[in-house]
Amino acid sequence: MSSWADTVSSAPPPATTASDRGAISARGLRRTFGDTVAVDTLDLDVPTGAVFGLLGPDGAGKSTLIRMLATVLVPTAGEASVFGHSVTTERDAVTPRIGYMSQRFSMYPDLSVAENLEFFATIRGVGRADRRTRSQALLASMGLDEFTRRQAQHLSGGMKQKLMLATTLMHEPDLLLLDEPTTGVDPVSRREFWRILAGLHRAGKTVLVATPYMDEAERCTHIAFLDGGRIKQSGTPESIKALVPGRLLEVSATDPRAALAVVRTLPGVASVHLLGDVVRVLWEAPSEPVGPLTSALVAAGLHGVGVREISPDMETVFAFLAEADAPPGAGSEVAS
Amino acid sequence: MMATLTRIGAIVVKEFRHLLRDPRMLLAVVITPVIQLLLFAYAISFDVENVPTLVVDLDQTQTSRTYLEQYEASPFFEVVAHGSTLADVDTAFDQNTARVAIVIQAGFARSLAAGEQAQVSVMVDGSEPNAAKVSQAYSVAINQLYTQQLTRQWADAQGLDLSSVGMLEPRVRTWYNPERRSSDFLIPGLMVVIIAIVTVQQTAVTLVRERDLGTEEQLEVSPLRKVELMVGKLLPWTLIAFAEVAMITGLGRTVFGIPMRGDFWALAVGAALFVFASLGMGLLISAVAPSLDTANILAMLIAFLPSFLLSGLAFALDQIPVVLQWISYGFPARYMVTISRGVFLKGAGFPEVWPELAALAVYAVVMIVISSVLYGRRARR
Repeated sequence: MSSWADTVSSAPPPATTASDRGAISARGLRRTFGDTVAVDTLDLDVPTGAVFGLLGPDGAGKSTLIRMLATVLVPTAGEASVFGHSVTTERDAVTPRIGYMSQRFSMYPDLSVAENLEFFATIRGVGRADRRTRSQALLASMGLDEFTRRQAQHLSGGMKQKLMLATTLMHEPDLLLLDEPTTGVDPVSRREFWRILAGLHRAGKTVLVATPYMDEAERCTHIAFLDGGRIKQSGTPESIKALVPGRLLEVSATDPRAALAVVRTLPGVASVHLLGDVVRVLWEAPSEPVGPLTSALVAAGLHGVGVREISPDMETVFAFLAEADAPPGAGSEVAS
Repeated sequence: MMATLTRIGAIVVKEFRHLLRDPRMLLAVVITPVIQLLLFAYAISFDVENVPTLVVDLDQTQTSRTYLEQYEASPFFEVVAHGSTLADVDTAFDQNTARVAIVIQAGFARSLAAGEQAQVSVMVDGSEPNAAKVSQAYSVAINQLYTQQLTRQWADAQGLDLSSVGMLEPRVRTWYNPERRSSDFLIPGLMVVIIAIVTVQQTAVTLVRERDLGTEEQLEVSPLRKVELMVGKLLPWTLIAFAEVAMITGLGRTVFGIPMRGDFWALAVGAALFVFASLGMGLLISAVAPSLDTANILAMLIAFLPSFLLSGLAFALDQIPVVLQWISYGFPARYMVTISRGVFLKGAGFPEVWPELAALAVYAVVMIVISSVLYGRRARR
């Protein structure tokens, strides 16, 4: 996945607007459902023009946060504004500027692609002429123009997501709130979807996108890691990666579990964990790691030993950050 | 204003598209009412005609035969068998070959000739109470007529002029429905039930469906207002309900030959108000029902049962228990049944049915206001 050609981060810097508060500003935002705290007193700032990735596991509070920003859910406490307008007291000023795409498919299954676009654009107040030109342009750019007459229920997963995105774009919003738009979509469609997002970013739109896929974080200009309703880390992908101290190594051997047992005892090793057939090692010592590690493993009688340094991907970064955050002994595959 | 109309128009177009794409819904809306009408109107018949009748003439005289001719001549009795003993009555009732038995005791002619009271037994199979009641009434009437005839014969024989004596002759007339045809009575009421079912059921489901599809949230982030959504949802069903009123009226007039004696416009206004009241009930269900199934069941309970049982359609309202009479005021069907029967059968117009029209108007407004408030409150919680 890291070989995706067209990444958002490589796009030119976004145009900024006059608004001091950025696209989104939230202070002390909180939402509970009965005894469950979904979003826990959270602050968030999304600069205008950003592609802001909201990462985190299921149940982290991503959807609740997005729904509050989209004005479809009222916060229990705290305040949030979109382009300077309160999401609770100035809904009418907020909704025309946002496009909200919910996590589940929310189009009319018995209406065709064109009819869904037409309907939602009409109630959004888009004029007839604009509806025609925009839907043609959007459908063509997303490769949906052959399917305009197909009922939404007969579209594939990826096409459904593209139809929803097209629908949220018909009224030309400045901010897109996308709740896991690529979940359950095949890899090719995911890449295609991010290509479209990159284009929107270049056009100056602000995008807040929730995703459980760590690899998608690298396509963003900013990311925040959400867990238990709170933001654990936030910043640019580079600044998050820089939070990982030391160097990252990948160790392979015919018996990776034995290799893990050997490596964790070595001086200079900060943490170790098993990822499939390889052992990921975080090396904290200032010395060169490859030689000592290789000789230690060979000396322990392991076969097929290979050690190489890798640049950390987001998945690894968050695994290490989560480990640093977690109490000792937590997490089954993480050695401390 | 223009924007509001555009948005309402978009909802109306969308609702009609849903309807046209869903063959089951189309079936439910167009075909079911016709089937219901035909089934109800033919199956639920309170008409009593050609009741199979057994006669047992134990007298076997000219007089007894003349008496029995009265039954043969009546359209209400059809003499299907002649028995010779009382045991034949049991057999006929057991085998369902007769529902009424007329037994003339031996000595009938002799008693009459002697100026004494003659005995005729009329036995009625009570397992079908309506037919039993009517048969009994008719046989009593036949006996009265026959008695009068006898009296007249006796007076003639005595050379008396009865008209100078001033005997009373009762003449019973049934107004508005002289032939007492039950279809005349049923169809104006059935129309109300059918409209109630279609409108309540469909609106009950329509908002819940938006919620289930997740499209509710998309509507919420648009400038579409709650009232616009409600109106957009109500308009197509108002049109459809009107089409059904026209269809049922047409079928009733042509197939069942029911009269239209009153002011059609009073009926139309009543129907419009009733449709709004019913749609309001449907929206109320939609606003509180947690799922599609619950909405369907609630709609059935609220639309069908009261409009069938508590509207005066199946049972006369003054004959049901007082508590149920009070409850019946809580449902719009009783007002509409009164309007419908008034217009079709009694020749009523606005002067006669305005209290019911007013009740329906109040009902409609209250329902739509309550459901809009509840629906609005429910969202974004």
